[in-house]
Amino acid sequence: MHISEGILSGPVLISGIALAAAGTAIGLKKLDYDRIPRAAILSAAFFVASLIHVPIGPSSVHLILNGIIGLILGWGAFPVILVALTLQAMLFQFGGITTLGVNTMIMALPAVFCYYLFGRLVGKRPHIAMPAAFACGALSVFFGAVMVGLALTFTEENFLKVSYLVVIAHLPVMIIEGIITAFCVAFLRKVQPDMLPGYSKQTSFTPSKETAGD
Amino acid sequence: MRTNSLTRNCMCCRKIVGFMLFMMACVVWAGPVMAHRAIIFAWVEGEKIFTESKFSGGRPVKQGDIIVYDLENNQLLKGKTDDKGEFSFEIPKRTSLKIVLIAGMGHRGEWTIPVSELEDVAGPQTEITTSQKIAPKKAEDQEETCDITLGEIRQIVEQALDKRLKPVMKILVESRENRPTFRDIVGGIGYILGLVGVAVYFNYRRKLAEMEGKKTD
Repeated sequence: MHISEGILSGPVLISGIALAAAGTAIGLKKLDYDRIPRAAILSAAFFVASLIHVPIGPSSVHLILNGIIGLILGWGAFPVILVALTLQAMLFQFGGITTLGVNTMIMALPAVFCYYLFGRLVGKRPHIAMPAAFACGALSVFFGAVMVGLALTFTEENFLKVSYLVVIAHLPVMIIEGIITAFCVAFLRKVQPDMLPGYSKQTSFTPSKETAGD
Repeated sequence: MRTNSLTRNCMCCRKIVGFMLFMMACVVWAGPVMAHRAIIFAWVEGEKIFTESKFSGGRPVKQGDIIVYDLENNQLLKGKTDDKGEFSFEIPKRTSLKIVLIAGMGHRGEWTIPVSELEDVAGPQTEITTSQKIAPKKAEDQEETCDITLGEIRQIVEQALDKRLKPVMKILVESRENRPTFRDIVGGIGYILGLVGVAVYFNYRRKLAEMEGKKTD
């Protein structure tokens, strides 16, 4: 899902950078200091997830994990994915530095979108929460694939044709990501429910007051 | 104070760290099966240029477009890779060649063949094929062997060498693919931790400033 350098036209790259910068600014504003370690762990997870290659289907695809990142961080997905993508571009030569903005949009916007779609549902009873988590993981990859099609449309290729190809290539990943997201949500509901957006505060434990001075 | 809030957060994330470690173990175990970049390699063999295209996971790029440009970005020729990701063509022009692979879905790879590589292989050959027979005077009693021209010998040697060197070229070409190493992965995670450090530092500064502000009040 990383678009390489030298494919997209200038206006697409620039608008990608502008939109990604706006998203990152909102994300940083909403990401308070207490959630920084959480964001870092998810950023590291995203960074390595691209190395997990899914050998099913017509093309070469990998895990993305943007669904679970969006679910836990909301708008914070933007800075988290931007950092991870920068490192991937520098260390693995995935994507590229100029396409960083576009690639961030491709993966972070669906994450935020799915956060608003499913965020409230994952805190509900299991028979609602589990399908919602699965759909969140799968659909965030699906929307990412559609975004790839959209980005490529403006350069040369036919939107429906490219989107169709990218979505087909990512079908196995969508299913796997759905399962992983459902698994993560089930896990978090047991051990740390306050990390999930839809959970009401009464069920979460209140952190002990900070003892000033030491 | 800083350590206090940090440990609280870390406690929050302890279980997830466990999960992360499991994921990392998966990555290390997954080893060579990695994605996600399109790579093209090209080398010169006689009068032809051979290319091999694959994704960084090792899968060949099937039916990918190959476009060859010269240094002024004029398109010289265009072709498609076969099911093994291979494509070969006659040298279209004796300049440095830029070979671009368009693998679809936003993947692109590039390989440049400098003009020196083309000269080495094919430059002198055309001159010498027209040259005279070698020393027919010296070995008059061995007429059959004397019929071979210098150019022909050169061609035969080159063909034999190409054949022998092909596997070596392949190994060389494969070694040029820089897969993400364990060091890269650890380095990336290190960078992320560093960023956390920076964030925590500024948080600490802010809190310190707040406390001092209260004291002076």
